[in-house]
Amino acid sequence: MLRLIDRLIAWFAIPSAVLLLLVVMAGVICRAADHPLSWTDEASGYLMVWCACFGWMSATRKGAHIRIRFFMDRLPSGLNRLVRLLFELSLLLLGCMIAVKGLHLVQTNLEIEATSMPISAALLYVPLIPAGLVMMLQAVLDTLGIWQEKPAVQDKAQS
Amino acid sequence: MSALMIKIGCGWLVAILLGIPLYASMGLAALVFLAFAGMPLTVLPQKMAGSINSFPIIAAPLFILMGNILAAAQITDRIVAFASALIGWVRGGYAHASILTSMIFAGMVGSAVADAAGAGAIEVRAMRRAGYKPETAASITAAAATIGPIIPPSLPMVIYGVTADVSIGKLFVAGIIPGLLMGLSLMIMVTFIAKREGMGRKTFSGWGTVLKTFLDGFFALMTPVVILGGIFSGLCTPTEAASIACFYALFLGFVVYRTLTVDHLGPILIETIETTGLVLVLVMAAGVLGWCMSISRLPQTLTPLILETIKSPLAFLLMANLLMLLIGCFMEALAAMLILIPILVPAALSYGISPVQFGVVMVLNLILGTIHPPIGVVLFVVTRIAEVSFETMSRAILPWLVPLLVVLAMISFWPPLTLWLPELLFAK
Repeated sequence: MLRLIDRLIAWFAIPSAVLLLLVVMAGVICRAADHPLSWTDEASGYLMVWCACFGWMSATRKGAHIRIRFFMDRLPSGLNRLVRLLFELSLLLLGCMIAVKGLHLVQTNLEIEATSMPISAALLYVPLIPAGLVMMLQAVLDTLGIWQEKPAVQDKAQS
Repeated sequence: MSALMIKIGCGWLVAILLGIPLYASMGLAALVFLAFAGMPLTVLPQKMAGSINSFPIIAAPLFILMGNILAAAQITDRIVAFASALIGWVRGGYAHASILTSMIFAGMVGSAVADAAGAGAIEVRAMRRAGYKPETAASITAAAATIGPIIPPSLPMVIYGVTADVSIGKLFVAGIIPGLLMGLSLMIMVTFIAKREGMGRKTFSGWGTVLKTFLDGFFALMTPVVILGGIFSGLCTPTEAASIACFYALFLGFVVYRTLTVDHLGPILIETIETTGLVLVLVMAAGVLGWCMSISRLPQTLTPLILETIKSPLAFLLMANLLMLLIGCFMEALAAMLILIPILVPAALSYGISPVQFGVVMVLNLILGTIHPPIGVVLFVVTRIAEVSFETMSRAILPWLVPLLVVLAMISFWPPLTLWLPELLFAK
């Protein structure tokens, strides 16, 4: 299941990045040829949000987000575990809010058309929903991981 | 609401220091503010998406993509060969060549980590083979890598430009002289240290070899010309120049050097998306937090306080430099920049300091944080490459910070170093 999610992220991410590059380039070429396209700037903005969200999901799954571990690594193991549990719960809450409120935004903007393209403006907010859900999933997985940790093993790893 | 924001800000800083991901700490701080201020929580996803739905910021993923394509196309060897042939024959030549390579590489990739990881391995290997101490080789590589985000293109400058609403083109041009000065100052330092440590020199292989290596790497060396030429001629914006540079890099890899295959494209794109996600989720979270700060009127509260406490622009620059250097010690450069821009840029403008100059000063300050402990990301990269301990590197890097700090002082207190070239090129 988790592997499928990772593959889905990659499958959507690659075409988004390629499309982004092609749309920006199309804008350059058409403008140079004196036939500027009205939709390239707006389309690339939408694709930018999609690319960023797929990258965000991928980084979340790999635990690659930037964080400062310097002080946490120096906490006593019990306190360290408690702080990490609290953080995972707060990440769960944040992911939930992004997904739920993102869905609300999509519903609100569903009937609104984008300025220069015949598509719904809601598409801009769609990738925030899976991003929030992936954040929640990872928080749950990490919480379970911390819960199942044996303090002795952790102490050994820290030393 | 300013008081509420300050209280949340304190909690947020504690959360950052205790190890929560930076983007999440900003998102949570914004969420708490919205909840306590009684505002609709839909602002959270709305402002997150809105903060990156802009054309200028698209330059960021495209420059990351270009850097990844060039790295996969293995053009670094050609640049190192050219730099070694050109300058490797003076005393400490490998160190000079390493700095020159970083300066050329800086015109292709926009980040210090990419510079250190891309060119670092080859540079360190060459210096160690020439008998340099591992920590000396690694320190030179790390210090030279900081030129990466100063000479255009520059990822931090794109982020600064978008966040502080400053022309990215002007920021790029403003970074050229400081970047060259950084290279020059490091080379002067090498000259002193080369004598003291008795660094060797190799025999000059002749101008024929210089010409041969130049022609061999000619198309790769033209990458900065393609990017900067497009921007400065007014033909394209930095974002469009980035897309052209991506196609140019693909042309180099597939047609000129034939070092790329279709199989390379998947991993290149995945890596690009992941790096993009890491960087832009910070911008998204900072966007919503910045909106909360402006609603709480925090900058309007803090700026008069700063103006009242610090009377002269020079004193402000000195204080801002010290603050940014300190924060750079503990925080990742992009995150620190996103936090500091809403607070320091309005104050800098009130003192009559150009936002372009302040941008270059801010980027250099925070990039210096990447080569000193405890967070030094570039330092971590080169310690792994050179196989030396982080503690050894932390000591070895200290002398190399001196020339870079001198350049920082110069660009902070003498505005023409950053403003002369943009005023000249953008005057039309």
